[in-house]
Amino acid sequence: MGEQDIQKEQPPAEMEATAFSKGIHPPVTADAPGFKADGLEAVDFSNSIRLTGREWLCVGVFALLLVVFAPRLWKATEPFPLERDYRIPHDIANDYWLYERHAAQSAEHYDTVLIGDSVVWGEYVTRDQTLPHYLNEFAGQERYANLGLDGAHPLALTGLVEHYAGSISGKNVVLHCNPLWLSSPRADLQDDKATDFNHPRLVPQFSPHIPAYKEEISPRLGVVVEQHTSLGRWTNHLQQAYYNHSDIPTWTLEHPYDNPVKPLTRGLPPSDNVLRHQPQPWYESDIKEQDYLWIDLETSLQWHAFQRVVQILQQRGNRVFVLVGPFNEHLLNPESKQRYQEVKATIVTWLQVQQIPYMAPEPLPSELYGDASHPLAAGYEMLARQLLQEPFFQKRDR
Amino acid sequence: MLFHTWVFFVFFLIVYPVYLLVRKNNQLMNLWLMIASYTFYGWWNPWYLLLLFGTSAIDYLMVLLMERKQSTRTVWLVISLVSNFGFLGYFKYSTFITENCNLLLIQLHAPFHLPDPAVYPNTMMGLLHVPNDWYFKHVILPIGISFHTFQSMSYTIDAYKGVIKTERNFIRFLTFVSFFPQLVAGPIERASNLLPQLQKAPTITREDITDGLSLFLVGFFKKVALADYLSKYVDLVYGNPAIHQSPALILATVAFGWQIYFDFSGYTDMARGLARTMGFRMMLNFNNPYTATGLGDFWNRWHISLSTWFKDYLYFPLGGSRYGPLRTYFNIFLTMVISGIWHGANWTFVIWGGLHALGRCATREVEQTQFYRKRIPRLLKQMLVFTFVTFTWIFFRAQSLSDAGLIIKRIFTTGWTDPHFPLLMAYMILAVWLYQLLYNSRSALKRYLETSPVRVGLASLMIAYLMIVAQPSTKQFIYFQF
Repeated sequence: MGEQDIQKEQPPAEMEATAFSKGIHPPVTADAPGFKADGLEAVDFSNSIRLTGREWLCVGVFALLLVVFAPRLWKATEPFPLERDYRIPHDIANDYWLYERHAAQSAEHYDTVLIGDSVVWGEYVTRDQTLPHYLNEFAGQERYANLGLDGAHPLALTGLVEHYAGSISGKNVVLHCNPLWLSSPRADLQDDKATDFNHPRLVPQFSPHIPAYKEEISPRLGVVVEQHTSLGRWTNHLQQAYYNHSDIPTWTLEHPYDNPVKPLTRGLPPSDNVLRHQPQPWYESDIKEQDYLWIDLETSLQWHAFQRVVQILQQRGNRVFVLVGPFNEHLLNPESKQRYQEVKATIVTWLQVQQIPYMAPEPLPSELYGDASHPLAAGYEMLARQLLQEPFFQKRDR
Repeated sequence: MLFHTWVFFVFFLIVYPVYLLVRKNNQLMNLWLMIASYTFYGWWNPWYLLLLFGTSAIDYLMVLLMERKQSTRTVWLVISLVSNFGFLGYFKYSTFITENCNLLLIQLHAPFHLPDPAVYPNTMMGLLHVPNDWYFKHVILPIGISFHTFQSMSYTIDAYKGVIKTERNFIRFLTFVSFFPQLVAGPIERASNLLPQLQKAPTITREDITDGLSLFLVGFFKKVALADYLSKYVDLVYGNPAIHQSPALILATVAFGWQIYFDFSGYTDMARGLARTMGFRMMLNFNNPYTATGLGDFWNRWHISLSTWFKDYLYFPLGGSRYGPLRTYFNIFLTMVISGIWHGANWTFVIWGGLHALGRCATREVEQTQFYRKRIPRLLKQMLVFTFVTFTWIFFRAQSLSDAGLIIKRIFTTGWTDPHFPLLMAYMILAVWLYQLLYNSRSALKRYLETSPVRVGLASLMIAYLMIVAQPSTKQFIYFQF
């Protein structure tokens, strides 16, 4: 065996004479080419990218500069002018980098910000029919910013406020509490079956355990890294705002012959001012009477998350005002309505105990709701008038 | 646990510092590496550990027995081989064999058929009064079974031949078989290379760290930036070949050729890089195979650890080229077909291996002629080899033989419509190919590639691309299924 075979199977001389490019592979022996005298293989590289310590230092410095400065440079060059009644475009609701910039701008220019889900954002109305808009209009000056984010349930709000709204400190904050998220185990994300829900990248990734969140550990760790590095947020921003929510490689599959850099020259999408739904009363949209179960707040993930949001905002020196609902009680059947009143009373009790200013108004007239929780334009107008009666909104020196 | 995921990053962040602390104590080092490796493997499915431990324990024991009594050495070797091939056969091939036997029995109008292979362990469990909940629904294929089984087997064969010394330390042997960087997709290390390294405290130099990082970066880039990107187009076309026409099918096949190269060589680059940072040196597994100038050359550059394994433990024992041309061709043919079957239990892999066997037999003499070596331009030879290898990938990638047939038929019979092949993808493939051709050439430009600014620039570009453009991936490596 061995030598004779090897000789016979010799390849053409032009072939690379690496340790293993003999015509037939010899048994691995210490005296074979490519092996060091001590019997260990000298590392064979199949390319030239073999850096020395000094070269790695250069690459490391480059990577560090990239991490630190690329997002900052982009922020400095990407136009994002302050607009009246601006709200994050619905289509890029997952662009938390943009939300962070919007929050920072709002903190600089407004004395009060409204934080919450689509009720604050304005699901059934245009941007000039939202609650912040009417508050500004009735106040006679631009004081209130719309920091609502569509689909931001309390568990997502925790992440949003903790990681992307750090600039909101020492401000007046109107925090909306939407009881819809407490209406069922599914809404509370307690449903053990894998469910799709909004903003999985904002919810706590490891603790508390969210039964409905089925993501594997690696992507969860990736989210944690993204939350703590500006580079991760920025690259996500590029994907959300410029590449139709996909990464660039996936984008090239849909635009095979386009220049992948071209979308970056397009500019940010404008704040949308189109109606997402027909602004009609809920009963005209085939929404039937509901029998929501309402969950026990003691065990509710969403309620505990809401409490956490209040705590984070207060720790940052904000003066927090909580608006509870007003939920559309007109679509609840009597039993469900009864259960809802108990939930609402528990929320109010907690706010009182914590000495947090709040308003838990009576429901608006039935025709002013688009669905279970979203008012129509006239509903927001009425709500704004009620809010402005509250002492919290009347102290203009804050 | 995949190298390019955050879980592995955390895992290595724990394993490495402890390893650095304990490596001076050989017992502790091996124990720690064994625990880390079993954790790494068990992360997929803890039940896999039983198989890994079982095959390792049998091989360890058989070699100890071989040493005790020379007269029964062959018996212990046979037991080791039977158990290894038995496990491999059951987990990897039993379903395939059963299905094909049943098809044959149907053709023969036989009044019976073979049961699902899961029945055998279930029957045993029934005899042991194991609750029904524990029964297997079907046979599962443990990740990387072919790799660790072959590594373990090489030890018993080498010990039988007297090439290596018996390893008496059980923990060290378990570490040798399960060493986590190369456990699930190679390189299939020989005991003669890895075991001696586990017997002493590895020295870790600055060069080990920088080389390890270099290897890891290149491997990471190959996997995340290239292989996973190409897979998007390949999966799209091969997922439904009936709706795609010739250009898309050709480009998807070419893309798959590069995808599997980037995927597999990316894994082994990362594996070698990790091992190197720990002071271990593992064999080169890929050496720019698409620059090969002949099929023999291709197999010297592709999955080197497997081709050397088959040559050492199958081709040479069969007689190699010692018994005349006819026997030589038979040996080559058999080795390559078995190498195809090693990849998976599907007729597509048999055909793939068969095609390479035919190609190798047909070109072996031609490749050694002066005309081929001197007169045919190098680039033309490289293109010819690439074309042939790419054609065979159709069988490797297709879900079934009928799919492969359909793809080939459509390549030659359908029209030339726009394939919507991303230009960026094409540029990336061409850039890598050009780089490899230059790197393997004797051109003056090769020296340019080796200058410090170019190397630093390329590494920086890769890092920038990975950070900004590439998407975090949890896509499995293709070769894990083998």
